[in-house]
Amino acid sequence: MIKLYDYELSGNCYKLRLLMSFLGVEYESKLIDFYPGNQHKSEGFRQINPLGQLPVVDDDGLVLRDAQAILVYLASKYDASGKWYPRDNPALLGQISQWLAFADGITATASAARLHDALFYTQIDVDAARAGANTLFRILDEHLYFAEEAGQDWICPGDHPTIADIACFPYIMLSEEGGVSRMDYPAIRRWCDRFKRIPGFTVMSGVFPAGPAVSGSIVSAA
Amino acid sequence: MTTDLQSNWYPIASSSDLPKRHVYQAQLLGREFAVWRADDGYVNVWENRCLHRGVRLSIGINNGTELRCQYHGWRYANRTAGCTYIPAHPADAPARTICNNTYPAQEAYGLVWAGELAVGELPAIDGFESATVLRPVPIMAPQKMVNQALLGYAWDDTCESAENSDGSVTITATDGSAVRVFVQPVDSNHSVARALYNRKVAGEERIALLKRHSWLMQELRDRTETQAARQETPAPYEPVIAKVSEDLVDIPAISVDGRKADLRVQVARKEMTADGIASLRLEAIKDQLPTFQPGAHIDVHLPNGLVRQYSVTNGPGETDHYTIGVKREPDSRGGSVAIHDTVGEGDVLAISAPRNNFPLRRDAVHTIFIAGGIGVTPLIAMARALNAQGLEFEFHYFVQSDDHVAFKRELSEFEGALNIHKGQSPKETGETLTEVLANPGYARHVYICGPGPMLEATRQIAADKGWADEAVHFEYFKNTTELDDSNSFEIDLARSAMTLTVPAGKSILDVLRENGINMSSSCEQGACGTCRCGVIEGDVIHQDVYLSDGEKAEGRSIMTCVSRAASNRLILDI
Amino acid sequence: MSILKCSDPIALNLWYAIAPLDEVLIGETAQTILLEQPIAYTRNHTGEIVAWVHDVASGGNPETDRLPIKERYGYFWTSLGTPDADIFPIPEYDEQDRRNIHAASFGVNVSAPRLVENFLDMGHFPYVHTDILGAEPHTEVKEYFVEVSKERDEILATNCKFWQPMAAAVASGGMDVDYVYRVPHPYSAVLYKSNPTDPERMDVIAIFIQPTSQETLRVHMLLSLLDESNDDISIRLFQQTIFGQDKPILENQYPKRLPLDPRAETPIRADKSAIAYRRWLSDKGITYGVIPAAA
Ligand SMILES: N[C@@H](CCC(=O)N[C@@H](CS)C(=O)NCC(=O)O)C(=O)O
Ligand code: FES
Ligand SMILES: [Fe+2]
Repeated sequence: MIKLYDYELSGNCYKLRLLMSFLGVEYESKLIDFYPGNQHKSEGFRQINPLGQLPVVDDDGLVLRDAQAILVYLASKYDASGKWYPRDNPALLGQISQWLAFADGITATASAARLHDALFYTQIDVDAARAGANTLFRILDEHLYFAEEAGQDWICPGDHPTIADIACFPYIMLSEEGGVSRMDYPAIRRWCDRFKRIPGFTVMSGVFPAGPAVSGSIVSAA
Repeated sequence: MTTDLQSNWYPIASSSDLPKRHVYQAQLLGREFAVWRADDGYVNVWENRCLHRGVRLSIGINNGTELRCQYHGWRYANRTAGCTYIPAHPADAPARTICNNTYPAQEAYGLVWAGELAVGELPAIDGFESATVLRPVPIMAPQKMVNQALLGYAWDDTCESAENSDGSVTITATDGSAVRVFVQPVDSNHSVARALYNRKVAGEERIALLKRHSWLMQELRDRTETQAARQETPAPYEPVIAKVSEDLVDIPAISVDGRKADLRVQVARKEMTADGIASLRLEAIKDQLPTFQPGAHIDVHLPNGLVRQYSVTNGPGETDHYTIGVKREPDSRGGSVAIHDTVGEGDVLAISAPRNNFPLRRDAVHTIFIAGGIGVTPLIAMARALNAQGLEFEFHYFVQSDDHVAFKRELSEFEGALNIHKGQSPKETGETLTEVLANPGYARHVYICGPGPMLEATRQIAADKGWADEAVHFEYFKNTTELDDSNSFEIDLARSAMTLTVPAGKSILDVLRENGINMSSSCEQGACGTCRCGVIEGDVIHQDVYLSDGEKAEGRSIMTCVSRAASNRLILDI
Repeated sequence: MSILKCSDPIALNLWYAIAPLDEVLIGETAQTILLEQPIAYTRNHTGEIVAWVHDVASGGNPETDRLPIKERYGYFWTSLGTPDADIFPIPEYDEQDRRNIHAASFGVNVSAPRLVENFLDMGHFPYVHTDILGAEPHTEVKEYFVEVSKERDEILATNCKFWQPMAAAVASGGMDVDYVYRVPHPYSAVLYKSNPTDPERMDVIAIFIQPTSQETLRVHMLLSLLDESNDDISIRLFQQTIFGQDKPILENQYPKRLPLDPRAETPIRADKSAIAYRRWLSDKGITYGVIPAAA
């Protein structure tokens, strides 16, 4: 079974929990005492990931680090529909990779601000991190506004979300914990609602589920 | 601090920012708003703060008819913003006055307009009747500075700009195309430029137009922000935090508003929903109807001077009208006959605000509704509330024949949960009920409403089957007990420090009123529960049908309209 | 010592937990903030913890600007004033068979009293800790008792009960869980919770808040449990999961300071302990982290 080196409050680990939940893939969480134990910097863990970072996945001996890389791997291997990472569509693959890199930028800014405020990563320049997050959010908000104009729900074109949406979602949704409000990004806020309504969506601490969509009233029989 | 700025209308969102089931977050002059569109299209602009513990409502859930707070699940109704449900106390009806702060709002020109103290109509925006809403762009700079910068906004060499009297800026090109920009002052150093283009365009031309202006406005934003960063940042606005009403400080408070009919409604539609049953759709003549909860009833003051109680059948969020069902009862004192024969569409009626003496718990794992005849009305509202929340229930409706089934359209929402039992004799009804009530259990509740004998029978069956008193909820719609008011006694009013004598022939309620104590009442026959009052000491002769046997035996409350003292003296908690 | 930003004499004279003892290392100086005042601390070569006020300009002097220190419940505590009382007791901490675990210290952008109130609150379990500490439709907060003990100067809420699907790391299946709550310090609280392994005794969870400003804080979470089946890491991570769910709620409360005016917000019966807490703070005359009721 896939083993995920996991920490509940990590948005990067959450990306992988999300994809595996969407795909219905079973996995085992190996809980790491990221805080306050700093277990990801321990000797034992650095032998698994010399960068001393979460997440790491071990799939039957194949050990991979970096959330975005793991999303690519898991979607390629376990998504039979090929919709989360359409391997035979070069244009789309290019766009997905572009937004995966963008997601790492969100980690470097919005997530850094959150680590500063919540876990006392005092070496982080929090003002710079927040400003960086706002710069990225402005770009994504405009992108999503025009996606909606074109009748598109997701970051990349097509009628199905991709791993680009998964990679961007966690640290956007957690941005307020680093003091980055999303009030100025209405298209991002609507996209967050749509994302939460993808079948198989799960929450993490700090993320609440969306309410029901317009269609489908639930009636329970006697 | 209130300023004259607060009386202006400002755009705070594009209409397209408010898809259904979404909560939009806005801010104006430092005050945050939660803005949400209900499924019926209505746009709610509320203070972004739950009155319970201050949590932002913009992180709550818009379920189409109500907004649910994320912290403790309080629900607030579309339009009225009245609280309809407090999950921590599922057996209580929330005080009707718990109402979130709402602000004036209008939707026009593809934008949503609001103002903390805005009054009057939104001024017409001539020339923009058929406009395209451009992409709004937030700018971290004071409103004045953005306005100034907008005077230099241009998409070609022929553009000329001018400030309008409302503070907006219009930029016009010689080909007649024009953009009018309204700057929403979010805070002292934070604005949003919201613009209209004076033509409707479609397809690729529209995308090109939107892109071009998004780009130009972002360029203007970057310049303006650089300029703002060079200045000292002004102190943020500090919006006043309004206090909640006095009566909410201690909960629960006994309401002392007497028998009032302060609302005027118009009969918007009257139709026969079943044999002998009229349904009336009542709409407000002006303003908003107050919030109702499932199970609530209203007093209807009839042209002939009679006052009658009818349950509201509405589902959650149907806040622009009340629908009631009225059965024609030829042997009655003429209330229902008056409605059937003399009240017509367009007539105006005086009604009371809804009052809920039949609250619905929403913490049951399973709920059984048992309706007999016209007793179906409050149960329809309740089942619709559970249905909207996806909670499990079954609905049993006993009628004479198919022609007697009222509110068929509403009932059809319940699909498989609905069981209609037709033409059963009292004996057969008893057998059906015995089956329906076979399994009491943890967090299972029964709600019964129907004619007296059926209600009695159902309560008996429930008791025999082992249902706990507090799991069986019922509402009589009239009291058929033979009332005895022949004794005389004293009442001590503990909180008002008064002693009064209740003579034979008068009720406690009468005596209280004669002495200037304003006690609410509704049916005045011991059925509705409105005139309930706490008993501190003394024995009571209960003549009502509202209290449960357990509550009667406990003797802690009295229905002051019909019940009396068994002893010489009662000490009441008034 | 420079002039302190906090001018509330009551807040200044309280003891505050600052860091878990095992995170204070010999020869390593760490910095933090207490009531807007930067402070520094280290462990000297004799093993003793030393803390002092630390100003960005002058640096601060470990000898002359030295602060009082106490070690209690696995943390070191200090004060910027001269406390007239000892740190409140938690007798269970010393019971031999308990496991005392530091779950984490987290920073939260809200006032300390808002967090204390959240800690006393059961009504949010089904909505905030869905399927762990509560689940719809079991939403009722049953009647419970609240008293303010004059002699101990603390708030006590007893006979609290709430239905929970998965009350603790060791629990499996839903049950009614009993709680007792204590507020022995304006910015700290202790809860006792029935546990599935021993019907006679209760698990203890305490929060010790170090207000860093009126609207930000650092909270230290202590667990003192009777659990024998889970390892420290799972227990700690379970507690972090729970706290991580409260955090976005706390950071979305407006205003951030706790309003003491009874007409600022709308209490219900379930909030009895919170009402007592607000009144207790008012009576004490606390001004730090609250919006005092207008006189
Ligand atoms: N690019 C990496 C970044 C991972 C990352 O930042 N992980 C965090 C936890 S969410 C971490 O382990 N931080 C510790 C560190 O970077 O030292 C990815 O996307 O996986
Ligand atoms: S704060 Fe909104 S329900 Fe309690
Ligand atoms: Fe909580």
